[in-house]
Amino acid sequence: MAYNKPIPRKGQHNQPFWDGAKEGKLMLPRCTLCGKVHWYPRLICPSCHSTDLEWIEGSGEGRLHTFAVQHRAFGGWAEEVPYVTAYIDLNEGDRMMTVLRGVDPNKPEDIKIGAKVKVEFDQADDDTHIPFWRVVEE
Amino acid sequence: MAATNLSMGAAIVGAAESNEIGYPEERGDKVTSLQHHIQAIKNVSDYTGIPISDIEGVFSTGWSVELAEHLGIRPHYIDTTSVGGCSFEIHVHHALAAIASGIIDVAVVSHGEAGWSYRGAGGGGGGRGEMSPGAEMTMAYGTFGAPSQYAHAMVRHMHQYGSTVEDFAHISVVTREWAQKNPRALMFADASQAEVKLGERTPNPFGGPITVQDVLDARIIAWPLTLFHCCLVTDHGGAVIVARPEIARSLRTNPVWIAGAAESMAHQNMLEMDDFTATSAARSSAIAYEMAGLGPQDMDMAMIYDSFTVTAAITAEMLGLAPRGQGYRLWKDGDAAPGGRLPINTNGGGLSFNHSGMYGMQLLVEAYRQLSGTAEDGINGIEGKQTDSHTCVVNGTGGTLSTTGTLVLVSDD
Repeated sequence: MAYNKPIPRKGQHNQPFWDGAKEGKLMLPRCTLCGKVHWYPRLICPSCHSTDLEWIEGSGEGRLHTFAVQHRAFGGWAEEVPYVTAYIDLNEGDRMMTVLRGVDPNKPEDIKIGAKVKVEFDQADDDTHIPFWRVVEE
Repeated sequence: MAATNLSMGAAIVGAAESNEIGYPEERGDKVTSLQHHIQAIKNVSDYTGIPISDIEGVFSTGWSVELAEHLGIRPHYIDTTSVGGCSFEIHVHHALAAIASGIIDVAVVSHGEAGWSYRGAGGGGGGRGEMSPGAEMTMAYGTFGAPSQYAHAMVRHMHQYGSTVEDFAHISVVTREWAQKNPRALMFADASQAEVKLGERTPNPFGGPITVQDVLDARIIAWPLTLFHCCLVTDHGGAVIVARPEIARSLRTNPVWIAGAAESMAHQNMLEMDDFTATSAARSSAIAYEMAGLGPQDMDMAMIYDSFTVTAAITAEMLGLAPRGQGYRLWKDGDAAPGGRLPINTNGGGLSFNHSGMYGMQLLVEAYRQLSGTAEDGINGIEGKQTDSHTCVVNGTGGTLSTTGTLVLVSDD
């Protein structure tokens, strides 16, 4: 079945991310001056304001920072309710949003903040492999 | 009029353009409006030697919060005045006022408009068709509107402080209690009062007092938020008039003085929220209290934006009215309730009075009524709504726990 949910927009500032995603790599922007990784991809480092940025391949691992269970949705997502949205603390620093897998949306009390998560990619179209995160065993 | 003389209060110390002006298509890829902004700001920073991190005020035609977020700065003066081609002269004027009055030392006025690249993308150019880089990276993940985002903050609060859904439910219950004293509140009940006070209006079948269990049992919107943790969506409007002291003293109405005022922000996209259990109200209220020479312990009451129960709880903590992690206690322990030590949201709040989308005006209207002694003027109140408050902290919140404005208001004894 064709992917029926919103597909992220792309531009110069994030193309390397989507190129990496095609190969199953989680590419992350890093400042060459201060060395900090930031997310989302930017035109300038939010820490030291250098514009000399590079892309590195991330570990694809992180920890669950917080979450919510969505019971009200529209479009393609409406067919999926309830589902868990979440924010992920990347091992490399900064934070990414996702729809979380490997958890039971009907048992939110059992979802552990701080749980180890790994990234996986879903192909949405020829140019877009969207990252999703899954809770994995310690 | 004897205004403070702002002449010589500030100067333009540098100017720069963005890099790829003109017809960028001749060089290949389209350049976005945001790129023009960031390039220009970087360039003028380099030119003047003033670090971007020194910027305290951001002035632009609607872009300021996104620019500040993108730059990773946290301004405490945010201006998005957008009134056509003369906007930037007006921004300079505003910046002068802000600087001469001592609010900020360094302001950037920024412009970026890919009027050519995006011509025909929705009329008049102006960067339509672009999306912020933060939104690009969150749009895939199935959140829809405020509740779907605010729920993440509540879960983090519960994790960090051991608070429970039930704790937050008390905020809905107490706020609904206040609504029972306000016949204009959407959730004003009960049928006997409705006959007397509502006139032609049909009593809301969902109005009337609620219990903690009612809140817990309500339909889930975005766990842990049930419907009764969420504000209303209604039509509403309001206005206040602000005048200089000589005029205020000459009127027949009671003046409510602006003793302190400040604003701040943390992010635009919740992706950039460093601490899901905190807002920039900590900063804006600290400044406002200092300006007023008053502290949270001096406040008789509070009007706090309650888009969701979690918004009110966290904001109460940020305003210094409760310890971190325990904002809900003000409601749970009865302090915020009618007859309590620190009445909060005496109009019934966004939760049970009215909430049109941008509720901040209603905070002001009710704060004025309370402090001027007109909360039971026969229009908006019934017995028991008027408090004996002479001081009130008012805090509005915008976006997804993104922006805040705090006022410290006082009345004559």
